[in-house]
Formats: sequence, structure tokens, C-alpha cells
Amino acid sequence: MTVRHHPEEDLLLAHAAGALDESMALIVATHLCFCAQCRATVALAEKVGGTLLDVIAPAPLAPDALARTLAQLDAPMPEQARPVSNDNTPLPLRRFLGRDLSQVGWRKMGPKLAYVPLTRRGGVSMRLLRGAPGTDVGRHGHKGMEYTLVLAGGFTDVTGSYGPGDFQTASPDLRHNPIADGDDSDCINLAVTTAPLRFESVVQKIVGKLFGF
Amino acid sequence: MMAHAASVAKPGFFPRPPAVVRLRMTRPADSMDQLVRQVAERRDRAAFEALFAHFAPRLKSYLMRLGVTPQQAEELAQEAMLLLWRKAALFDPAKASAATWMFTIARNLRIDAVRRESRPPLDPADFVPEAEENAEDGFSRGQSEVALRHALSTLPPDQAQIVNLSFFSSKPHSQIATELGIPLGTVKSRLRLAMTRLRGAMGDMP
Repeated sequence: MTVRHHPEEDLLLAHAAGALDESMALIVATHLCFCAQCRATVALAEKVGGTLLDVIAPAPLAPDALARTLAQLDAPMPEQARPVSNDNTPLPLRRFLGRDLSQVGWRKMGPKLAYVPLTRRGGVSMRLLRGAPGTDVGRHGHKGMEYTLVLAGGFTDVTGSYGPGDFQTASPDLRHNPIADGDDSDCINLAVTTAPLRFESVVQKIVGKLFGF
Repeated sequence: MMAHAASVAKPGFFPRPPAVVRLRMTRPADSMDQLVRQVAERRDRAAFEALFAHFAPRLKSYLMRLGVTPQQAEELAQEAMLLLWRKAALFDPAKASAATWMFTIARNLRIDAVRRESRPPLDPADFVPEAEENAEDGFSRGQSEVALRHALSTLPPDQAQIVNLSFFSSKPHSQIATELGIPLGTVKSRLRLAMTRLRGAMGDMP
């Protein structure tokens, strides 16, 4: 299975730089689990980071910093549980959810649609969406950016067809009408929407937030 | 390394050409890789000290540029060096240099630190269910926005206050409760009441 739709490069670079907020970092990290090509891009960007680290002007530490660190070398290593998934949930997502994708509690939005709210911070919301094959999500536009990663199944809209691992970037000018078109499995997406906060426009922003835009 | 440390200036905003030259004159990058291997294979403390002398001040400098306080940058730099000691066996020079590896370690430590500070433990049940616009909604967004705007403007003041603080203060409900001097349960119940009202006003039940 080949991933055909990728995050834009600046997003991958921001991810490598540690500059993304938690929800964007999660959707990108989850895409990376599907996509060797983008992993390579991120690895390259990390190398840039390593290079910059090597040439950065050092900031001296306190005189006793080395001694204090040396004193901790023999301390027992804290156990770090590496998440394990029983249903191939990508590990970054598994770590975030604290459970497998097949174990999350879905909320019905209609006979064929369900969702799980994940985060809502600073105008950015992240949620899981699930649509049965044939589900017509309805034509809609966006107030901010909408990033969608297909985790299972697939969907098609005016911009193309998306399968597992595919990453869609919908800018505010895109109006689309995604239809779940997986053969026999539900289409499950991880979606992040952004709507920059503007305090002078409180009502508009709340409206947008209530509708997840 | 001593001469190098003595030449250290305060960190600027961008690496400058002299820094590159200085790097070339000091330690070649592959010797850093070699030192990490010595730590992995022999638990070589002298190698670790050399790595610390090279990387810890750079990590601190990097973290400070990201806006981390000098104090916390120093702590995170030491934590990164401790991780180097513990995870040295996982280092694969075929994949990335020691510098790149340390960069990713420090980057991740900072992300974790920011999250620990900025994010309270999340309970998805605390989130207001979000209505997705879909074909089954049966009303246009224009109508619903007007209805919602009206519903918001007529919320009881105590509910409107909590709604605003919840959406725009980036503060956890517990902090809002503390600042308003009311119980957490009151904050939550006001929010639920407000949201029930707003959803009801738009005919989007439940």
C-alpha cells in the first residue's frame, strides 16, 4: 500500500524542529508511521537540527553541572513502558489515546457517522472521525486549516482518493464533499482543524469551535 | 576543550560563520560518534565527560533559544546527557550523527516539558460534544450561526463567563474555578447548562 498524499514539507520540517503543537505533532507523527518517504524528510530535517546544534554558540553550564550529572549515572533507570498495540494502532496515537483504536468510545453523530473528541486548545481541535462505507459527510468549507489523516478505509472528494496513511491538507478556500468509500471497512480519520483565535470576534470563534471549524 | 570553552561567547540568535570554523578546528563529528560508542560498549565515563563538555553547553544554548529559561535549559541539558548515558546502546551512527541524536533527544525533552506545564490531564468526557456539519443536520450554517449568536448573547452572565474563560483563557477548568472562587463542579455544570442551551437554540439535539 503506497501513501499518495503527504503533509507539506514545511509541516514536516516544523515537526522535526519540535515547533508543532501537540495535535499537529500527533497527526504528523502518525502519518510518519505509514510513510517512509516523509520519515526520510524528517530524518533529513533532524540532521539539519543536529548540524545547527554542533555549530551553536555554547552556553556554559554551572560549574557543578557535570558533577551533578555524573552522580546520577548509576541511579537505576526509570522504567519506560513502550506502548504496545494489539490492533496495529500507530504507536504515537496509541501513546496519546492510552488505548488501541479499537478500544475508543465512539459518539454517534448519526446512523453512519461517529467521532471522538481528543483535544481542543488554542483554537486547534483534534478528533477521530468514523464513517461507514458510503457515508456522505456533506459539502463543507473551512474557516481555518483542516488536516485529515486516514487511519483505515478511505474517502474520496474533489481533490482525489485517500487511503490509509494518506494526509489531506484542506485550506480555507477548499469546499469539498468527502464520501467514505472503503470496500468493507469503516473510514477512520484523525482530523485536526485550526481556527486562529481573535478575541475581538468572540461569537464567530465560538460558532466555529462548536462546529469544529 | 578547555580552550574552546574559554572562547565561548553568549549565545546569539543564529550560528555565525566563526562558529563553523571553530567547530572544524575542534573535534570532528565522527569522534563524537566514537565517544558515544565507547559509552555504550564500556560505560566509559571519560568518554561521557568529553561528550558532556561538547554537547551540554550547546543543548543549553539551543533550549534557551526556544524560550526555555536558563535554569530549565540547564536542567534539560543535563537530563539529555543522562539519556545519552542510558540509551547509548540504541545510538546508530549509520542513521544519524551523535549531534543529530542529541538534537532529537533535547527537542523531545523540551516538548515533554512544555506539555507537562501547559496541559492538564485531559478527560475526553470534559469536552463539549462537537457537531460536525453534515448532510443530516438539515439546517444551513448561516441559520445556525445566527441562532447561536443569539443564544450566546442571551446566556445568563455566569454561564457566559465560564464559556468565555473555557474557550479563550487556555486555563484548565480547575484553575478557572480557583480564580473565580467557585467549586469545580459549578464551573462544569454552568458549562453543561450553557452548552445545552446553545445546542437547543440551534435545534441540534441532544
